[in-house]
Amino acid sequence: MNRRKFLSWGTAGMVALCSGVVVSLGAVIRFLVPDVFYEPPQSFKIGNPADFPYGPPTFLADEKIYVFRERDKGFSVASAVCTHLGCTVKFFTSDNRFHCPCHGSVFNENGSVEHGPAPRALNWFEVTETRDGQLRVDKNKTVPPNYRLMV
Amino acid sequence: MNLIREIWQSIVRRDPLSTDKGKSELVFHNVWLHIHPAKVKKENMRFKHTFYLGFITFFLFLILVTTGIALMFYYRPYPPQSYQDMKDLQFVVFLGPFLRSMHRWAAHGMVICVFLHMCRVFYTGSYKKPRQFNWVVGIMLLLLTLGLSFTGYLLPWDQLAYWAITVGTNIGSYAPIVGGKLRELLLGGHTVGEAALIRFYVLHVAILPSLVILLTIVHFWRVRKDGGLSKPVWKLKPRAPEQLVTIGATPQVAPMQTIPASKDKTYGLMEVVTGKPNFEIITPEEEEDAVFSYPYAFFREAITLMVTVTSVMAISLFFHAPLEEMANPAKTPNPAKAPWYFLGLQELVSHSALLGGVVAPALMVIALLAIPYFDRNPSRRPSDRKWAIGLFTAFVVVNLVLIIIGTFFRGPGWAFVPPWVHVVAGPE
Repeated sequence: MNRRKFLSWGTAGMVALCSGVVVSLGAVIRFLVPDVFYEPPQSFKIGNPADFPYGPPTFLADEKIYVFRERDKGFSVASAVCTHLGCTVKFFTSDNRFHCPCHGSVFNENGSVEHGPAPRALNWFEVTETRDGQLRVDKNKTVPPNYRLMV
Repeated sequence: MNLIREIWQSIVRRDPLSTDKGKSELVFHNVWLHIHPAKVKKENMRFKHTFYLGFITFFLFLILVTTGIALMFYYRPYPPQSYQDMKDLQFVVFLGPFLRSMHRWAAHGMVICVFLHMCRVFYTGSYKKPRQFNWVVGIMLLLLTLGLSFTGYLLPWDQLAYWAITVGTNIGSYAPIVGGKLRELLLGGHTVGEAALIRFYVLHVAILPSLVILLTIVHFWRVRKDGGLSKPVWKLKPRAPEQLVTIGATPQVAPMQTIPASKDKTYGLMEVVTGKPNFEIITPEEEEDAVFSYPYAFFREAITLMVTVTSVMAISLFFHAPLEEMANPAKTPNPAKAPWYFLGLQELVSHSALLGGVVAPALMVIALLAIPYFDRNPSRRPSDRKWAIGLFTAFVVVNLVLIIIGTFFRGPGWAFVPPWVHVVAGPE
Protein backbone atom coordinates (compact mmCIF):
# COMPACT_ATOMS: atom_id res chain seq x y z
CA MET A 1 0.00 0.00 0.00
CA ASN A 2 1.46 3.33 -1.00
CA ARG A 3 1.06 6.62 0.85
CA ARG A 4 -1.66 7.98 -1.47
CA LYS A 5 -3.73 4.86 -1.04
CA PHE A 6 -3.20 4.82 2.72
CA LEU A 7 -4.31 8.45 3.07
CA SER A 8 -7.39 8.07 0.90
CA TRP A 9 -8.50 4.90 2.65
CA GLY A 10 -7.68 6.49 5.99
CA THR A 11 -9.74 9.60 5.18
CA ALA A 12 -12.62 7.48 3.96
CA GLY A 13 -12.40 5.42 7.14
CA MET A 14 -12.42 8.50 9.38
CA VAL A 15 -15.40 9.96 7.51
CA ALA A 16 -17.23 6.65 7.85
CA LEU A 17 -16.42 6.45 11.56
CA CYS A 18 -17.52 10.03 12.25
CA SER A 19 -20.77 9.65 10.31
CA GLY A 20 -21.40 6.39 12.14
CA VAL A 21 -21.01 8.17 15.47
CA VAL A 22 -23.30 11.04 14.38
CA VAL A 23 -25.95 8.64 13.06
CA SER A 24 -25.78 6.57 16.27
CA LEU A 25 -26.19 9.69 18.41
CA GLY A 26 -29.17 10.71 16.30
CA ALA A 27 -30.61 7.23 16.68
CA VAL A 28 -30.19 7.38 20.47
CA ILE A 29 -32.02 10.70 20.66
CA ARG A 30 -34.72 9.48 18.28
CA PHE A 31 -35.07 6.34 20.42
CA LEU A 32 -35.89 8.54 23.41
CA VAL A 33 -38.71 10.36 21.57
CA PRO A 34 -41.90 8.36 22.17
CA ASP A 35 -43.94 7.45 19.10
CA VAL A 36 -47.07 6.83 21.12
CA PHE A 37 -48.15 8.93 24.07
CA TYR A 38 -50.18 6.96 26.57
CA GLU A 39 -51.90 10.09 27.73
CA PRO A 40 -55.52 11.19 27.94
CA PRO A 41 -56.85 12.16 24.48
CA GLN A 42 -56.75 15.85 23.57
CA SER A 43 -60.26 15.73 22.11
CA PHE A 44 -63.03 14.34 24.32
CA LYS A 45 -66.72 14.48 25.17
CA ILE A 46 -67.67 16.20 28.40
CA GLY A 47 -71.38 15.33 28.63
CA ASN A 48 -74.77 16.77 27.83
CA PRO A 49 -75.35 20.53 27.75
CA ALA A 50 -77.99 20.13 30.44
CA ASP A 51 -75.29 18.84 32.85
CA PHE A 52 -73.80 22.29 33.10
CA PRO A 53 -75.41 25.01 35.22
CA TYR A 54 -75.59 28.68 34.38
CA GLY A 55 -73.48 31.05 36.45
CA PRO A 56 -70.11 30.07 37.89
CA PRO A 57 -68.03 27.83 35.59
CA THR A 58 -67.81 24.08 36.13
CA PHE A 59 -64.31 22.73 36.79
CA LEU A 60 -63.45 19.37 35.21
CA ALA A 61 -60.44 18.17 37.18
CA ASP A 62 -59.21 15.35 34.96
CA GLU A 63 -59.38 17.44 31.82
CA LYS A 64 -58.14 20.61 33.55
CA ILE A 65 -60.77 22.84 31.95
CA TYR A 66 -63.42 25.31 33.07
CA VAL A 67 -66.79 25.11 31.27
CA PHE A 68 -68.68 28.40 31.18
CA ARG A 69 -72.37 28.50 30.34
CA GLU A 70 -74.04 31.86 29.88
CA ARG A 71 -77.71 32.54 29.26
CA ASP A 72 -78.44 33.67 25.67
CA LYS A 73 -74.76 33.26 24.74
CA GLY A 74 -73.89 29.63 25.18
CA PHE A 75 -70.83 27.54 26.05
CA SER A 76 -67.16 28.40 26.22
CA VAL A 77 -64.26 26.35 27.61
CA ALA A 78 -61.14 27.79 29.25
CA SER A 79 -57.91 25.95 30.03
CA ALA A 80 -57.12 25.65 33.74
CA VAL A 81 -53.39 25.37 33.05
CA CYS A 82 -51.46 28.50 33.99
CA THR A 83 -49.42 29.79 31.07
CA HIS A 84 -46.52 30.57 33.40
CA LEU A 85 -45.37 27.18 34.69
CA GLY A 86 -48.28 24.83 34.26
CA CYS A 87 -49.94 24.91 37.69
CA THR A 88 -53.71 24.50 37.79
CA VAL A 89 -55.49 27.85 38.22
CA LYS A 90 -58.59 28.19 40.36
CA PHE A 91 -61.65 30.33 39.59
CA PHE A 92 -62.89 32.38 42.52
CA THR A 93 -66.49 33.56 42.34
CA SER A 94 -65.69 36.19 44.96
CA ASP A 95 -63.78 38.31 42.44
CA ASN A 96 -64.59 36.49 39.16
CA ARG A 97 -60.94 35.80 38.51
CA PHE A 98 -58.57 32.86 37.98
CA HIS A 99 -55.78 32.68 40.57
CA CYS A 100 -52.64 30.61 40.13
CA PRO A 101 -51.36 29.14 43.43
CA CYS A 102 -47.75 28.76 42.33
CA HIS A 103 -46.52 32.23 41.49
CA GLY A 104 -49.57 34.41 42.04
CA SER A 105 -50.69 35.10 38.47
CA VAL A 106 -54.25 36.45 38.20
CA PHE A 107 -56.40 36.18 35.06
CA ASN A 108 -59.74 37.91 34.52
CA GLU A 109 -62.85 36.08 33.34
CA ASN A 110 -61.75 36.51 29.71
CA GLY A 111 -58.49 34.78 30.60
CA SER A 112 -56.33 37.89 30.15
CA VAL A 113 -53.42 38.39 32.53
CA GLU A 114 -54.19 40.98 35.18
CA HIS A 115 -51.30 40.42 37.53
CA GLY A 116 -48.23 38.26 38.04
CA PRO A 117 -45.55 36.62 35.90
CA ALA A 118 -47.78 34.76 33.40
CA PRO A 119 -46.64 35.70 29.88
CA ARG A 120 -49.90 34.92 28.01
CA ALA A 121 -53.65 34.79 28.53
CA LEU A 122 -55.28 31.46 29.37
CA ASN A 123 -56.16 29.31 26.37
CA TRP A 124 -59.77 28.89 25.23
CA PHE A 125 -60.64 25.62 23.51
CA GLU A 126 -63.08 24.87 20.76
CA VAL A 127 -66.30 23.29 21.99
CA THR A 128 -68.72 21.65 19.54
CA GLU A 129 -71.90 19.59 19.70
CA THR A 130 -71.66 15.99 18.59
CA ARG A 131 -74.37 14.11 16.75
CA ASP A 132 -75.57 12.43 19.95
CA GLY A 133 -76.13 15.85 21.52
CA GLN A 134 -73.06 15.84 23.75
CA LEU A 135 -70.43 18.55 24.03
CA ARG A 136 -66.96 17.86 22.63
CA VAL A 137 -63.87 19.81 23.59
CA ASP A 138 -60.77 19.80 21.38
CA LYS A 139 -57.63 20.95 23.21
CA ASN A 140 -55.70 21.01 19.95
CA LYS A 141 -57.88 23.87 18.68
CA THR A 142 -57.61 27.16 20.54
CA VAL A 143 -60.20 29.85 19.89
CA PRO A 144 -60.55 33.55 20.82
CA PRO A 145 -62.15 34.21 24.24
CA ASN A 146 -65.35 35.51 22.62
CA TYR A 147 -66.02 32.13 20.96
CA ARG A 148 -69.38 30.69 22.06
CA LEU A 149 -71.36 27.58 21.21
CA MET A 150 -75.13 28.07 21.23
CA VAL A 151 -77.00 24.86 21.87
CA MET B 1 -1.16 -22.75 61.43
CA ASN B 2 1.28 -22.40 58.61
CA LEU B 3 -1.51 -22.66 56.08
CA ILE B 4 -3.42 -19.81 57.74
CA ARG B 5 -0.30 -17.67 57.73
CA GLU B 6 0.27 -18.55 54.08
CA ILE B 7 -3.27 -17.54 53.17
CA TRP B 8 -2.98 -14.30 55.13
CA GLN B 9 0.31 -13.46 53.46
CA SER B 10 -1.17 -14.18 50.04
CA ILE B 11 -3.81 -11.55 50.75
CA VAL B 12 -1.68 -8.97 52.54
CA ARG B 13 1.60 -8.78 50.68
CA ARG B 14 3.28 -5.96 52.53
CA ASP B 15 5.81 -5.61 55.31
CA PRO B 16 4.50 -5.17 58.86
CA LEU B 17 2.98 -1.76 59.58
CA SER B 18 5.55 -1.14 62.28
CA THR B 19 8.07 -0.41 59.55
CA ASP B 20 8.16 2.63 57.27
CA LYS B 21 8.33 0.31 54.28
CA GLY B 22 5.17 -1.43 55.45
CA LYS B 23 3.39 1.89 55.91
CA SER B 24 4.28 2.89 52.35
CA GLU B 25 3.37 -0.47 50.88
CA LEU B 26 0.01 -0.40 52.61
CA VAL B 27 -0.84 2.59 50.42
CA PHE B 28 0.61 1.66 47.07
CA HIS B 29 -0.01 -2.08 47.15
CA ASN B 30 -3.71 -1.50 47.76
CA VAL B 31 -6.08 -0.69 44.93
CA TRP B 32 -8.44 1.27 47.21
CA LEU B 33 -5.81 3.23 49.09
CA HIS B 34 -3.35 4.03 46.34
CA ILE B 35 -5.17 7.24 45.40
CA HIS B 36 -3.46 8.56 48.55
CA PRO B 37 0.19 9.53 48.63
CA ALA B 38 2.33 7.45 50.98
CA LYS B 39 3.09 10.62 52.92
CA VAL B 40 1.00 13.72 53.46
CA LYS B 41 1.88 17.19 54.68
CA LYS B 42 0.78 17.80 58.25
CA GLU B 43 -0.57 21.24 57.45
CA ASN B 44 -2.85 19.80 54.74
CA MET B 45 -4.57 17.64 57.31
CA ARG B 46 -5.51 20.62 59.47
CA PHE B 47 -9.29 20.73 59.85
CA LYS B 48 -9.48 24.48 59.37
CA HIS B 49 -7.82 24.23 55.96
CA THR B 50 -10.57 22.23 54.21
CA PHE B 51 -13.15 21.42 56.93
CA TYR B 52 -12.95 17.95 55.30
CA LEU B 53 -15.89 19.02 53.09
CA GLY B 54 -14.79 16.99 50.07
CA PHE B 55 -14.60 13.85 52.16
CA ILE B 56 -17.93 14.54 53.83
CA THR B 57 -19.55 15.01 50.41
CA PHE B 58 -18.05 11.75 49.16
CA PHE B 59 -19.18 9.86 52.27
CA LEU B 60 -22.69 11.28 51.90
CA PHE B 61 -22.67 9.98 48.34
CA LEU B 62 -21.71 6.53 49.66
CA ILE B 63 -24.62 6.68 52.13
CA LEU B 64 -26.92 7.67 49.26
CA VAL B 65 -25.79 4.77 47.09
CA THR B 66 -26.20 2.26 49.91
CA THR B 67 -29.59 3.44 51.15
CA GLY B 68 -30.73 4.04 47.58
CA ILE B 69 -30.03 0.44 46.57
CA ALA B 70 -31.86 -0.73 49.70
CA LEU B 71 -34.93 1.35 48.76
CA MET B 72 -34.87 -0.03 45.22
CA PHE B 73 -35.85 -3.45 46.59
CA TYR B 74 -39.27 -2.10 47.50
CA TYR B 75 -39.95 0.52 44.84
CA ARG B 76 -41.74 0.17 41.49
CA PRO B 77 -41.41 3.20 39.20
CA TYR B 78 -45.00 3.10 37.98
CA PRO B 79 -47.89 5.22 39.23
CA PRO B 80 -49.91 4.70 41.35
CA GLN B 81 -47.93 1.69 42.65
CA SER B 82 -44.98 3.99 43.36
CA TYR B 83 -46.98 5.87 45.93
CA GLN B 84 -48.24 2.63 47.50
CA ASP B 85 -44.63 1.44 47.71
CA MET B 86 -43.74 4.66 49.49
CA LYS B 87 -46.56 4.01 51.95
CA ASP B 88 -45.22 0.49 52.43
CA LEU B 89 -41.74 1.85 53.05
CA GLN B 90 -43.26 4.27 55.53
CA PHE B 91 -45.44 1.85 57.50
CA VAL B 92 -44.76 -1.79 56.60
CA VAL B 93 -41.13 -2.36 55.68
CA PHE B 94 -38.74 -3.02 58.57
CA LEU B 95 -36.41 0.01 58.87
CA GLY B 96 -38.19 1.52 55.83
CA PRO B 97 -38.81 5.00 57.27
CA PHE B 98 -35.30 5.07 58.69
CA LEU B 99 -33.60 4.21 55.38
CA ARG B 100 -35.80 6.59 53.44
CA SER B 101 -35.07 9.40 55.89
CA MET B 102 -31.34 8.67 55.70
CA HIS B 103 -31.55 8.85 51.91
CA ARG B 104 -33.46 12.13 52.06
CA TRP B 105 -31.27 13.89 54.65
CA ALA B 106 -28.03 12.67 53.09
CA ALA B 107 -29.26 14.10 49.77
CA HIS B 108 -29.93 17.50 51.36
CA GLY B 109 -26.58 17.27 53.14
CA MET B 110 -24.78 16.48 49.90
CA VAL B 111 -26.21 19.56 48.20
CA ILE B 112 -25.09 21.71 51.16
CA CYS B 113 -21.62 20.13 51.39
CA VAL B 114 -20.92 20.32 47.64
CA PHE B 115 -21.77 24.00 47.80
CA LEU B 116 -19.64 24.65 50.90
CA HIS B 117 -16.77 22.66 49.37
CA MET B 118 -16.97 24.89 46.30
CA CYS B 119 -16.84 27.98 48.55
CA ARG B 120 -13.80 26.62 50.41
CA VAL B 121 -11.97 25.93 47.15
CA PHE B 122 -12.79 29.40 45.90
CA TYR B 123 -11.78 31.28 49.05
CA THR B 124 -8.44 29.46 49.25
CA GLY B 125 -7.83 30.13 45.54
CA SER B 126 -7.32 26.42 45.00
CA TYR B 127 -8.76 26.50 41.48
CA LYS B 128 -5.71 28.32 40.16
CA LYS B 129 -3.12 26.86 37.86
CA PRO B 130 -2.64 23.89 37.51
CA ARG B 131 -6.02 23.02 39.02
CA GLN B 132 -8.29 24.97 36.65
CA PHE B 133 -9.92 21.99 35.01
CA ASN B 134 -10.51 20.21 38.31
CA TRP B 135 -12.66 23.19 39.32
CA VAL B 136 -14.67 22.65 36.13
CA VAL B 137 -15.08 18.95 37.01
CA GLY B 138 -16.23 20.05 40.46
CA ILE B 139 -18.89 22.36 39.00
CA MET B 140 -20.11 19.48 36.83
CA LEU B 141 -20.38 17.36 39.97
CA LEU B 142 -22.38 20.17 41.62
CA LEU B 143 -24.78 20.19 38.66
CA LEU B 144 -25.05 16.38 38.71
CA THR B 145 -25.81 16.52 42.44
CA LEU B 146 -28.66 18.95 41.75
CA GLY B 147 -29.83 16.75 38.86
CA LEU B 148 -29.84 13.67 41.09
CA SER B 149 -31.76 15.55 43.69
CA PHE B 150 -34.30 16.82 41.17
CA THR B 151 -34.89 13.42 39.55
CA GLY B 152 -35.16 11.78 42.97
CA TYR B 153 -37.75 14.33 44.00
CA LEU B 154 -40.39 12.91 41.63
CA LEU B 155 -40.06 9.29 42.70
CA PRO B 156 -42.35 9.32 45.81
CA TRP B 157 -45.18 10.40 43.49
CA ASP B 158 -46.82 12.56 46.13
CA GLN B 159 -48.23 16.06 45.70
CA LEU B 160 -44.88 17.65 46.60
CA ALA B 161 -43.12 15.55 43.96
CA TYR B 162 -45.67 16.03 41.22
CA TRP B 163 -45.90 19.80 41.43
CA ALA B 164 -42.22 20.47 42.04
CA ILE B 165 -41.44 18.55 38.85
CA THR B 166 -44.31 20.17 36.91
CA VAL B 167 -43.01 23.62 37.82
CA GLY B 168 -39.36 22.63 37.42
CA THR B 169 -39.71 21.14 33.95
CA ASN B 170 -41.90 24.04 32.81
CA ILE B 171 -39.06 26.39 33.74
CA GLY B 172 -36.87 24.50 31.28
CA SER B 173 -39.44 24.86 28.50
CA TYR B 174 -38.82 28.62 28.45
CA ALA B 175 -35.40 28.01 26.89
CA PRO B 176 -35.56 29.45 23.37
CA ILE B 177 -36.28 27.11 20.42
CA VAL B 178 -35.37 23.77 22.03
CA GLY B 179 -37.05 24.33 25.42
CA GLY B 180 -40.42 22.74 24.66
CA LYS B 181 -38.88 19.77 22.86
CA LEU B 182 -36.37 19.27 25.64
CA ARG B 183 -39.17 19.11 28.21
CA GLU B 184 -41.07 16.61 26.08
CA LEU B 185 -37.93 14.47 25.77
CA LEU B 186 -37.30 14.57 29.52
CA LEU B 187 -40.92 13.77 30.40
CA GLY B 188 -41.56 11.38 27.52
CA GLY B 189 -44.90 13.14 27.14
CA HIS B 190 -46.69 16.46 27.44
CA THR B 191 -47.38 16.33 31.15
CA VAL B 192 -45.79 14.67 34.17
CA GLY B 193 -47.11 11.11 33.95
CA GLU B 194 -46.02 7.50 33.98
CA ALA B 195 -43.55 8.02 31.13
CA ALA B 196 -41.92 10.85 33.09
CA LEU B 197 -41.64 8.69 36.21
CA ILE B 198 -39.76 5.85 34.51
CA ARG B 199 -37.46 8.34 32.77
CA PHE B 200 -36.65 10.13 36.01
CA TYR B 201 -36.11 6.76 37.69
CA VAL B 202 -33.59 5.59 35.08
CA LEU B 203 -31.76 8.91 35.28
CA HIS B 204 -31.80 8.79 39.07
CA VAL B 205 -30.61 5.22 39.65
CA ALA B 206 -28.42 4.54 36.61
CA ILE B 207 -27.28 7.37 34.40
CA LEU B 208 -26.60 10.24 36.81
CA PRO B 209 -24.92 8.12 39.52
CA SER B 210 -22.64 6.56 36.88
CA LEU B 211 -21.64 10.02 35.69
CA VAL B 212 -21.01 11.12 39.28
CA ILE B 213 -18.78 8.09 39.87
CA LEU B 214 -16.82 8.67 36.64
CA LEU B 215 -16.27 12.36 37.37
CA THR B 216 -15.42 11.71 41.01
CA ILE B 217 -12.64 9.39 39.90
CA VAL B 218 -11.28 12.13 37.61
CA HIS B 219 -11.70 14.71 40.40
CA PHE B 220 -9.70 12.65 42.95
CA TRP B 221 -7.07 11.57 40.42
CA ARG B 222 -6.38 15.17 39.49
CA VAL B 223 -6.09 16.30 43.10
CA ARG B 224 -3.46 13.61 43.57
CA LYS B 225 -1.62 14.42 40.33
CA ASP B 226 -1.55 18.12 41.19
CA GLY B 227 0.42 17.28 44.31
CA GLY B 228 -2.37 16.69 46.80
CA LEU B 229 -4.33 19.41 48.51
CA SER B 230 -3.38 22.99 47.85
CA LYS B 231 -1.17 24.62 50.42
CA PRO B 232 -3.11 26.32 53.24
CA VAL B 233 -3.48 30.02 52.58
CA TRP B 234 -1.78 30.93 55.86
CA LYS B 235 1.36 29.07 54.76
CA LEU B 236 1.74 31.10 51.57
CA LYS B 237 4.74 33.38 51.62
CA PRO B 238 4.92 36.63 49.69
CA ARG B 239 6.42 36.03 46.28
CA ALA B 240 10.19 36.20 46.44
CA PRO B 241 11.98 37.83 43.53
CA GLU B 242 13.06 35.10 41.14
CA GLN B 243 16.61 33.91 41.65
CA LEU B 244 18.45 33.42 38.42
CA VAL B 245 21.25 30.96 37.84
CA THR B 246 23.49 30.83 34.86
CA ILE B 247 24.32 27.52 33.28
CA GLY B 248 26.99 26.47 30.84
CA ALA B 249 29.07 29.61 31.41
CA THR B 250 32.74 30.09 32.00
CA PRO B 251 34.23 33.51 32.74
CA GLN B 252 35.53 33.74 29.20
CA VAL B 253 32.46 32.95 27.04
CA ALA B 254 28.89 34.19 27.06
CA PRO B 255 26.45 32.13 29.18
CA MET B 256 24.39 29.55 27.32
CA GLN B 257 21.20 30.29 29.16
CA THR B 258 19.90 32.03 32.27
CA ILE B 259 17.00 30.24 33.92
CA PRO B 260 15.02 30.66 37.15
CA ALA B 261 16.47 28.76 40.05
CA SER B 262 14.26 25.92 41.12
CA LYS B 263 13.91 23.77 44.18
CA ASP B 264 11.20 21.75 42.51
CA LYS B 265 10.71 18.20 43.57
CA THR B 266 10.51 15.95 40.57
CA TYR B 267 9.21 12.46 39.99
CA GLY B 268 11.44 9.51 39.25
CA LEU B 269 10.17 9.35 35.68
CA MET B 270 12.60 12.02 34.49
CA GLU B 271 13.64 9.94 31.53
CA VAL B 272 10.09 9.60 30.30
CA VAL B 273 8.28 12.73 31.38
CA THR B 274 9.90 15.94 30.25
CA GLY B 275 9.30 19.41 31.55
CA LYS B 276 8.91 20.70 35.06
CA PRO B 277 6.19 19.12 37.18
CA ASN B 278 3.43 21.66 37.56
CA PHE B 279 2.62 21.28 41.22
CA GLU B 280 3.58 23.50 44.06
CA ILE B 281 7.20 23.81 45.03
CA ILE B 282 8.10 21.79 48.10
CA THR B 283 11.05 23.01 50.07
CA PRO B 284 13.23 20.59 52.03
CA GLU B 285 11.85 21.95 55.32
CA GLU B 286 8.34 21.16 54.18
CA GLU B 287 9.42 17.73 53.09
CA GLU B 288 10.31 17.03 56.70
CA ASP B 289 6.90 18.26 57.72
CA ALA B 290 5.24 15.29 56.02
CA VAL B 291 3.97 12.22 57.84
CA PHE B 292 2.89 8.78 56.70
CA SER B 293 -0.69 8.54 55.44
CA TYR B 294 -1.01 5.52 57.68
CA PRO B 295 -2.14 6.11 60.32
CA TYR B 296 -2.43 9.92 60.36
CA ALA B 297 -4.55 10.64 57.24
CA PHE B 298 -6.50 7.38 57.33
CA PHE B 299 -7.42 7.91 60.96
CA ARG B 300 -8.86 11.35 60.16
CA GLU B 301 -10.77 9.97 57.18
CA ALA B 302 -12.21 7.15 59.25
CA ILE B 303 -13.33 9.61 61.94
CA THR B 304 -14.91 11.83 59.26
CA LEU B 305 -16.75 8.83 57.82
CA MET B 306 -18.03 7.79 61.22
CA VAL B 307 -19.14 11.31 62.16
CA THR B 308 -20.92 11.70 58.81
CA VAL B 309 -22.74 8.37 59.05
CA THR B 310 -23.71 8.82 62.72
CA SER B 311 -24.96 12.36 62.08
CA VAL B 312 -27.19 11.25 59.22
CA MET B 313 -28.43 8.31 61.31
CA ALA B 314 -29.13 10.52 64.32
CA ILE B 315 -31.05 13.06 62.25
CA SER B 316 -33.03 10.26 60.59
CA LEU B 317 -34.00 8.84 63.98
CA PHE B 318 -35.63 12.09 65.04
CA PHE B 319 -36.84 13.60 61.78
CA HIS B 320 -38.70 11.61 59.17
CA ALA B 321 -38.73 12.38 55.47
CA PRO B 322 -42.13 13.88 54.60
CA LEU B 323 -44.67 12.11 52.42
CA GLU B 324 -47.72 14.04 51.30
CA GLU B 325 -50.92 12.72 49.78
CA MET B 326 -50.79 11.02 46.38
CA ALA B 327 -50.04 13.13 43.32
CA ASN B 328 -53.22 14.76 42.05
CA PRO B 329 -52.82 16.57 38.72
CA ALA B 330 -56.13 18.36 39.25
CA LYS B 331 -55.23 19.97 42.55
CA THR B 332 -52.27 22.30 42.83
CA PRO B 333 -51.19 22.82 46.44
CA ASN B 334 -51.00 26.45 47.48
CA PRO B 335 -48.23 27.51 47.56
CA ALA B 336 -46.56 24.91 45.34
CA LYS B 337 -42.86 24.95 46.17
CA ALA B 338 -39.85 23.31 44.55
CA PRO B 339 -37.14 21.64 46.72
CA TRP B 340 -35.48 24.27 48.93
CA TYR B 341 -32.27 24.55 46.89
CA PHE B 342 -34.38 25.42 43.84
CA LEU B 343 -36.48 27.99 45.72
CA GLY B 344 -34.03 30.75 44.81
CA LEU B 345 -34.67 29.79 41.20
CA GLN B 346 -38.43 29.69 41.81
CA GLU B 347 -38.24 33.14 43.40
CA LEU B 348 -36.50 34.45 40.26
CA VAL B 349 -39.08 32.65 38.11
CA SER B 350 -41.91 34.36 39.97
CA HIS B 351 -40.62 37.62 38.50
CA SER B 352 -39.81 36.43 34.99
CA ALA B 353 -39.75 32.88 33.73
CA LEU B 354 -37.36 33.47 30.82
CA LEU B 355 -34.95 35.84 32.59
CA GLY B 356 -35.13 34.22 36.00
CA GLY B 357 -35.60 30.60 34.99
CA VAL B 358 -33.29 30.30 32.00
CA VAL B 359 -31.03 33.31 31.44
CA ALA B 360 -29.94 33.95 35.05
CA PRO B 361 -29.13 30.31 35.95
CA ALA B 362 -27.39 29.74 32.60
CA LEU B 363 -25.22 32.81 33.19
CA MET B 364 -24.49 31.65 36.75
CA VAL B 365 -23.31 28.23 35.56
CA ILE B 366 -21.20 29.74 32.77
CA ALA B 367 -19.66 32.21 35.22
CA LEU B 368 -18.81 29.43 37.68
CA LEU B 369 -17.26 27.30 34.92
CA ALA B 370 -15.24 30.26 33.63
CA ILE B 371 -13.81 31.39 36.99
CA PRO B 372 -10.41 29.66 36.72
CA TYR B 373 -9.86 30.93 33.17
CA PHE B 374 -11.22 34.40 33.78
CA ASP B 375 -9.31 35.03 37.00
CA ARG B 376 -5.76 35.64 35.71
CA ASN B 377 -4.39 36.74 39.08
CA PRO B 378 -1.77 34.12 40.03
CA SER B 379 -1.77 34.95 43.74
CA ARG B 380 -3.72 32.81 46.17
CA ARG B 381 -3.32 35.21 49.09
CA PRO B 382 -6.70 36.71 50.12
CA SER B 383 -5.18 40.19 50.41
CA ASP B 384 -4.30 40.06 46.69
CA ARG B 385 -7.76 38.86 45.67
CA LYS B 386 -10.15 41.42 47.13
CA TRP B 387 -12.22 41.79 43.96
CA ALA B 388 -12.55 38.07 43.31
CA ILE B 389 -13.53 37.36 46.91
CA GLY B 390 -15.99 40.28 46.95
CA LEU B 391 -17.71 39.14 43.76
CA PHE B 392 -17.95 35.51 44.83
CA THR B 393 -19.27 36.49 48.25
CA ALA B 394 -21.93 38.61 46.55
CA PHE B 395 -22.88 35.57 44.43
CA VAL B 396 -23.19 33.38 47.54
CA VAL B 397 -25.18 35.99 49.48
CA VAL B 398 -27.61 36.65 46.60
CA ASN B 399 -28.27 32.92 46.26
CA LEU B 400 -28.80 32.47 49.99
CA VAL B 401 -31.11 35.49 50.24
CA LEU B 402 -33.22 34.26 47.31
CA ILE B 403 -33.48 30.79 48.85
CA ILE B 404 -34.42 32.23 52.25
CA ILE B 405 -37.10 34.46 50.70
CA GLY B 406 -38.49 31.56 48.67
CA THR B 407 -38.47 29.21 51.67
CA PHE B 408 -39.70 31.34 54.53
CA PHE B 409 -41.28 34.47 53.08
CA ARG B 410 -43.59 33.11 50.40
CA GLY B 411 -47.13 32.07 51.22
CA PRO B 412 -50.23 31.13 49.22
CA GLY B 413 -50.27 32.58 45.73
CA TRP B 414 -46.54 33.29 46.20
CA ALA B 415 -47.51 36.42 48.16
CA PHE B 416 -44.89 37.92 50.44
CA VAL B 417 -45.63 36.64 53.94
CA PRO B 418 -43.41 36.94 57.02
CA PRO B 419 -42.53 33.49 58.40
CA TRP B 420 -44.13 34.19 61.78
CA VAL B 421 -47.57 34.83 60.25
CA HIS B 422 -49.66 31.73 59.72
CA VAL B 423 -51.78 32.09 56.61
CA VAL B 424 -54.69 29.89 55.65
CA ALA B 425 -54.96 29.46 51.88
CA GLY B 426 -56.93 32.11 49.98
CA PRO B 427 -60.69 32.70 49.55
CA GLU B 428 -62.74 29.72 48.51
